[in-house]
Order: sequence, then structure tokens, then C-alpha cells
Amino acid sequence: MQAAARRPRTNHLDLAQRILDVARQRGFEAGAHLPEQQIASLCNVSRTPVRAALRLLTEKGVVRWEAASGYRLAIDLAAQATMTADLPVTEEDELAEKILRDRSARRLDQTVTVGALMRRYDAERKTVLKSLKKLTEENLLDRAPGQSWLFRRTPDDPEAQGESYEFRLMLEPAAILTPGFRLDGTRAAALRQGMEALLALPDAAFDSREFQRLDIEFHSMIADGCANRFVTDALSDHLRLRRLPGVYAGVNVFRLKQSLREHLTILDHLEGRQFEVAADLLRVHLRLSRNQRPQAASRGAPALFGMISRPD
Amino acid sequence: MTRKASPTIALFPEASFGAALNCVGIAQALRARGARPVFICHAGFSGVFADYGFQEYQLPTDDPLSDSERQSYWQAFVRRHLPHFKLSPVDQLETYVAPTWQAIVDTAANAEAPLRQLLARLKPDAVVLDNVIMFPALAAAGCPWVRVVSCAETELPDPEVPPYLSGLAADDPCRASFEARYLAAVAPAHDRFNRLRTEAGLAPLPKGLFLEASPDLNLLLTPSIVRRERAEPLDPSRFAYLEGCVRSEGPFEVPVFPRNGGPLVYVSFGSLGAMDVGLIERMLAVFDRLPARFIVNVGGLRDSYRAVPDNVYLDAWFPQPSVVAKSDLFIHHGGNNSFCEALRFGVPSLIMPYCWDGHDNAQRAEETGVGNHIGRDGWTEGVLEKAILGLLADNEMRARLRENAADMALKPGTDVAAEAILSLIRT
Repeated sequence: MQAAARRPRTNHLDLAQRILDVARQRGFEAGAHLPEQQIASLCNVSRTPVRAALRLLTEKGVVRWEAASGYRLAIDLAAQATMTADLPVTEEDELAEKILRDRSARRLDQTVTVGALMRRYDAERKTVLKSLKKLTEENLLDRAPGQSWLFRRTPDDPEAQGESYEFRLMLEPAAILTPGFRLDGTRAAALRQGMEALLALPDAAFDSREFQRLDIEFHSMIADGCANRFVTDALSDHLRLRRLPGVYAGVNVFRLKQSLREHLTILDHLEGRQFEVAADLLRVHLRLSRNQRPQAASRGAPALFGMISRPD
Repeated sequence: MTRKASPTIALFPEASFGAALNCVGIAQALRARGARPVFICHAGFSGVFADYGFQEYQLPTDDPLSDSERQSYWQAFVRRHLPHFKLSPVDQLETYVAPTWQAIVDTAANAEAPLRQLLARLKPDAVVLDNVIMFPALAAAGCPWVRVVSCAETELPDPEVPPYLSGLAADDPCRASFEARYLAAVAPAHDRFNRLRTEAGLAPLPKGLFLEASPDLNLLLTPSIVRRERAEPLDPSRFAYLEGCVRSEGPFEVPVFPRNGGPLVYVSFGSLGAMDVGLIERMLAVFDRLPARFIVNVGGLRDSYRAVPDNVYLDAWFPQPSVVAKSDLFIHHGGNNSFCEALRFGVPSLIMPYCWDGHDNAQRAEETGVGNHIGRDGWTEGVLEKAILGLLADNEMRARLRENAADMALKPGTDVAAEAILSLIRT
């Protein structure tokens, strides 16, 4: 367990991510001063954990330490939508990912117990509990009676995917049209850069994981921009489900690239404050993405029309 | 003969993935040559072709059933026929093949009027039909039509070729009795179809045949390595063999398995085969004890499985050509599309056929040494294990298949098809 011992503490990692989020929201540029006291009050914590989190960011090259002036931002945050990929993962994060992977492949049942997870992953009780807590906080899991946990339904089968798109069709355009919608310009710029870079790749080198990250980030940006926090919460909870393995299965590169172009057009209109047009385009985008593959068809059983029709 | 700048080619595949995706491959090659490929599709398939960037024209249907009634009807159809997939090819004739031909004739009859109207409006420069039955509207469309024989080569009869859907060898002594039983079983559907043809102004077809050769161009998805000698060779001016017809898909990243070692085996029985959960569950129990990783296509039925082994990964859909390219063995149902993909990427096939030309490809895979086959029913865990491990260990077969795949890659069937189709178009 030596490797695990070297892992940073979860709360320092979380705080490091929060510091970056605050810096991005406030438009801090590369070289900006990051005074410990100011960061501590912006993040509602004391200076001690802030120091540890800044040290962590220094190790990753995101922040630099200068003897004369203290910590400074070392990179252009606008160039990256999130830093998550670059921060080290904790043992419980790693376990949580394994749990999600194995649930998606149906190696785990819908209900799991701590004991069974400890045995399966050869993990300590506290690590399993932390992973389950994390998944519960992300609304991927619910505590069931006794020592068991229940996975929530995820949009990884055709019927659930149809319902997921119906839900998003109701709320995402509404998120834009609710008075007070605010676009995070820095986040939008970083996203645009990421989407354009992905679009430029040839089909054979297309990175579908990067698509998944950008897609969730794009739709989360719209959710976060909504002035109605209940809409934001409902959408954020739902979009988190799209992080799960298996959700993006079955979409070919042509459609994924088309989808990126649709995102960029919506972004154009959001940046131009043409919110009604953006909401209409978002509705069309979601409808096109909802197109499902037929569920059953085969040569020799040629007319399974009923079974292969889409919800609309 | 000069070509139009951007000719419209209407592709009309039957409502099956095999045909649909073959045609996507051809359409991609046509588009790359500046043509405008469009798809005529059955209601349930709309969206599939648009996702590859092609214009779709949905064929209207005057089917009086509501969506839910139609769904119930076809769910019952599949439930009724799942047990028949365990029967031998000859015993499927009355139980599965005959009712399926009736359903196919229904499809052709229902499509005739709307198809005529659509073709009159669309005015394509050529129509590509990937189906097993003729639609008289095509003959009246006023443009060349292309037949894609995307089933096994047995679809085109010849004295040296085994009977269609029989799973027999060409010289099998049961040949005559199979043929007689086939003709008797399909006669009611055939009679009805010939009446439809006559009413539409087309000559009736000989017994047992539902689709004639196109007078313009016929494309056979039969790679050289499995091609048969014919007593009456096909006229090369009208018949072109394709070395498969594999569409291009995005890259596939092999998932990390909790038990992450050994060769990679891909398992897909097509969307209909994915409904046979019982069979796949039995197979998973065998996979669990083998030193290999298994990727299994289970369609939309992932929730039917529990306690999936750590060396198995299930999903609803895979970019199949990209997965096959990374696999060491492909276990499939003998659909010609899957068979050609296995050959194209030099991967041995273990065929477990359940119906139609899957039986013919299963037989042919073994005859030509490109794979093996076992029956869908009646296998024991030991038989399946031995078949999988045997193919994985057969280095000689693998080397031969790799060499063949390199040859196939030099003359992609999609390119040959697109060139042949475009050469038909008159100014």
C-alpha cells in the first residue's frame, strides 16, 4: 500500500480543484498572484489546507512559488476547461472508478454491500466507505437499508436513454431561456478551443473520451449558467450520469463531429446573447442526438419495424 | 459514357444491420467520389444513415397497426421463433424460413406503391438494392438498378453451389431432399409474390427464386478465399465480386478488464441474436474459466445479465470493424457482413449460426479453413472451450488469414462497388 500512502489527501485535491475553479471564474491570468489569505477566504477554509493545496498545484506545475511574492498562477487556465485530468487521483477515486466500470459491465449487481466490495477489490473498509460516499454525493448511488447501497438507474439502455433525452429536452433549453442566464466566458473560450482541436483530428484518431469530457462540460456550462438554481441542480445531477461508462456507446464519429459543430454554433449564439436562437438550436441538437439505433433486426427477420422504431 | 457531376445514387437496404451497414460502406466510397448517395429506408431504420451523414427518405407504410401494436406483433414473432433457431437448417424450413418469406413478401407488397412514388420524385441516377426480394418499382424507375448479394454466395443458385440456407456441402447426398422440401415450404409465399410481380408487369420467377439478377450490375460480397467454383460461371460484365464491403468506423479503445490478460475475443450474434440471453449466459460461464478477454455485444439487454465475469465486457453496440481489427477471434452468427469483416481483418471465425445464410457461412468457414462452427444448441462447455482455444492456438490459420487480409486491404470492396456503380450512369 506504499503507492496509496503517497497519494494526496482527498480534501487537498478537492481544494486544489476549487482554487482553480475560483481563479477561472475570476478571470485570473497566467502570472496572477494567489495570496493564501485571499484564497482561503474565497474558498471558505483556513490557510493551512490552502497551503497544502497550493503545494500540490506547484508539484503539478499549475502554480509556481516565488520567494519574494508567494504563489502565482503558472498557466493559462482559459486554455483548459478543467484540470481534473492532471491532478493525481486518490485511492478512493480510483476505487470509485472501478466500481462504476464494473457496474456498467454488470459485474456488480444493482445492490452492493461494503463487505462484498472490500473482498472484491481487496480494499480497506474506510476506502470503500469513502468511495461509496463520493458516489452517493454524486447521486450515482443511494444508501439502502442495512449495509447495502443501490446504484441509481443510468442512461445506458435504449429506453433509459430516451427518457434521459426527454428530460434534457425539457430543461436544457429552459435553462438558457430563464431570465438571468449568464455564460461563463472563460469556460466557453476553453471549451471552444477544445472542441475545435478535437474536430481537427482525422476520424481514425478521434478521441471519444475527450468528446465525452467536452460534451459533459458543454452541457454543464449551460446548466451552471441558469439563474434558477433548482434547474441547475437537477441538470447537474443528471449530466453527472453521463460520465458513466457505456453511456456514449454506439455513436459513430460522423455524428460525434456533427455534434461538436452543433455545440460550436450554439456557443456562437450564446456569446452573441441570442438566447432564444441558442435554445432552439440546443433543442434540435438534443433531438438529433436522441436518434437511436434499432434494437433488433437481422437478415432473415427483415421486418422487425415495431421493435426498431424510435420513441418519436 | 461520361459521368454526371454529382449523380444521385439511392441505396435501398433491407431492414437489417448487415445490409444497412454494407450499404453505408458503399455510400461512403460513393461520397468520396463526388456522388450524392441517399438512403431509402424502412421506418425503423431512420436515423441510422443520417448518423453517418447521409440523407434519408423514409418509406411510408400503410400498415394499419399502431406503433405499440406493431411492437407487440414483432415481439411475439421473435418470441415464437427463438426456439426454432435451435433446429437444423432443414427443420427450420417450415418453422422459420417459410413464415419469414411470407413476411418478406408482405414487406415488398406494402412498399410497392410508396416506393414507386418516392422514386418518381427522387429521380435517382441509379438504385442499389441490398435485399433478398425484388421490388417491382425498381424495374420501373427508369434508371439502372444494382443488386447487392450480401448474403452468402449460395443466394445465387448453381449446380456446384450448395442450396441456399441449407448449411450443406455442395456434394451432400441430402441436397435433393433439402431442395424439394425448400420449394414446397416456400411455395405459398412464392405464388403470392409471383402474382404481385405479374400485377406490376414483371415476369414471374422460377420456383424458389424471389429476386432476379439485375440486367445492369450485381455485386457479390464474397471474398476470394471463400469463393466457390461454379458450373456456370457468372458473366463478369454484369457480376462483380467484392472482397468484403467494410465501412469505416471510428477507433475503438479496448476496455480495461479486472482480469486483463490473454487474447481478445469479440462475440456478436447481431441484434436479433443478442435477444438469446440464455445462450449468451451459458457462454459467459465458459468464458469465465478461459485465459482470454471477451467483448460481448448484448444489444439493449445489458440488464438481463448479472455477475458478469471479470474477463468479460458487455455493451449495447460496438464500432464492429474497429473491434474486429483488434481481436484474435470473432465468435458470430455467420451473418455475411460479420464473416467478411473477420476475413478483412484476418481474424478466425467461430460461427454459431441460428438462421438463414449463417448456416451456409458456417459450413464454408470450415471447408475453407478460415474458422470453425458449432451448433447453437447441444454444445457442451467442453466443446465450446475446445473450439475457442483451438482457434486461438491455430497459428497456421492465423498466418494464412493475415496474408489474405493484406490482399483484401489492397482492393477494398467498397471502392470496387462504388466504381462499378458509377460506371453505369449514363449522361
